[in-house]
Amino acid sequence: MASCKATDAVYHVEPPPAAKKLRELFYSAHYIHSHIAHFYALAAPDFVVGPQADPTQRNILGVISKVGLETGREVIKHRAYAQQIQALLAGKATHPTWGLPGGVSKGLSEEERREIEEKAASCVAFANLSLKIFDDIVLQNREYLDLILSEAFHMVSYYMGLVDGNNKVNFYEGDIRVVDPEGKEKAKFKPADYLSHISEHVEPWSYLKFPYLKQVGWRGLSGGKESGIYRVGPLARLNAAEGMATPLAQAEYERMYSTLGGKPVHANLANHWARLIELLYAAERLRTLAHDPEITSTQIRTLPTATPTEGVGVVEAPRGTLFHHYKTDARGITKEVNLIVATVNNNAAICISVKKAAQALIKAGTIVTEGLLNMIEMAFRPYDPCLACATHALPGQMPLEVSIYNHHRELIQRLKRD
Amino acid sequence: MRTLILGLGNPLLSDDGVGWRVARGVYEAVKGEGIDLVESSAAGLGLLDLMEGYDRVILIDAIKTAGGKVGSLYQLGLDDLRSTPRLASPHDVDLALALEMGRALGTVIPTDLKIYAVEVEDPYTFGEELTPSLQEAVPTIINEIAKSISPRNSAPGI
Repeated sequence: MASCKATDAVYHVEPPPAAKKLRELFYSAHYIHSHIAHFYALAAPDFVVGPQADPTQRNILGVISKVGLETGREVIKHRAYAQQIQALLAGKATHPTWGLPGGVSKGLSEEERREIEEKAASCVAFANLSLKIFDDIVLQNREYLDLILSEAFHMVSYYMGLVDGNNKVNFYEGDIRVVDPEGKEKAKFKPADYLSHISEHVEPWSYLKFPYLKQVGWRGLSGGKESGIYRVGPLARLNAAEGMATPLAQAEYERMYSTLGGKPVHANLANHWARLIELLYAAERLRTLAHDPEITSTQIRTLPTATPTEGVGVVEAPRGTLFHHYKTDARGITKEVNLIVATVNNNAAICISVKKAAQALIKAGTIVTEGLLNMIEMAFRPYDPCLACATHALPGQMPLEVSIYNHHRELIQRLKRD
Repeated sequence: MRTLILGLGNPLLSDDGVGWRVARGVYEAVKGEGIDLVESSAAGLGLLDLMEGYDRVILIDAIKTAGGKVGSLYQLGLDDLRSTPRLASPHDVDLALALEMGRALGTVIPTDLKIYAVEVEDPYTFGEELTPSLQEAVPTIINEIAKSISPRNSAPGI
């Protein structure tokens, strides 16, 4: 979707309103399947089954055995609904070939609209069910609530996200808003101006770059107000905005901040709650857009007439703010491309979060078990990182090495997974 | 018996589209009642959606191994796929777990799953054509997989 918007900008063309709505409809469905898969398959095992549970149980099967087969079927059904809506709109759910500079290649028939409307209503109910499960299993368990708020999973930083004209969360378009660790607006800018606000620090030991806020500066791998490190993603979006644009999600937004002690929330594990609030928002947007009389309009493309040059497209990917910047020749062939994907935006914060969790959880004499290593991974998982996207490398596995030193910097123990 | 011939990959990434090409060829060779073709770029739980309701699935995808000869055909088991980029994603479950989940939920999932991987040269460059040496091997690969699908077993009700 970021590339669609970047090509709009490259060709100096504005899609008609119906095309923008169709894109947002598609994108809402994309959020639904992505957030469902993340929560139930990747996040919930840590809470529903337990952070130190046997890894053979700590997976989606273990989650289903706890929440029940009926809920398991609902998970599969609604994830599939979202994929079907994407395929219906764009031909294919994955790698769609639908977005064009100035709009989309296919509109929506009345029959298709009704199908989406029905599925959207079901998705809203499912998002509410997911929030209830989170409430029953996580929030009603004092131990888990303490874990969420614990120092091990706490990091202070700036937060970034797209907002609409009312400073409400918007996944598809708007201005980029940055708030400081106290929640005050630090910057608000048009996506095309991103280079005036963001720089990318480079370290020789990593393929990933380390973006930071120019205005604050790079102070190494440290958080806080003096460091320009910012975060993106579900919790960052909620922190960077002043609310949600749909009523049910807004009520959950208010409940989250009142439960966790006000804005902004620096508890990394609260990303899972924020993700479910966004699931509800995406389902509500899906329903609203499916009801919109303009959604079946045939005015779905503005034909480009200008010579292509340069453009920036920014959306909120499920994992965070995504920047696409292209420079082309007069034929529209790209000559320079810059992408800052969500995981790159979060790179410095991921490093800090993992280190902090390891330092808080492993003390002198601590026996490092598989369960303990999983708790360190829990600091990494809320970011739902895509290191393949961020590094352009495809190892297909996640090697992990934990080295434990004493205060003389002597190696005590090294645990390794290839 | 319902059979699904499932081609996986991204047809816009040169040789990564070989799964689609071979699946279509196999389908054309064996098509009949009870046999369907799906070309997809899905992974994880998305594959469960596609396989639901089928007794037999013939899955075909691209693979790149160290020193592998382009055009070689491998038949793999579920455990072999635990660490591939295509069928195990950091954002999703792997195929084995997806099928196990389907089984736990009482979904009709295939009892007969054959996984074929075709050794490719370049699955990274944007393009809709296969590299020449792989293109040359495609008819033989199609023939080999089609031979393994007995038409008798594909008749409805058997």
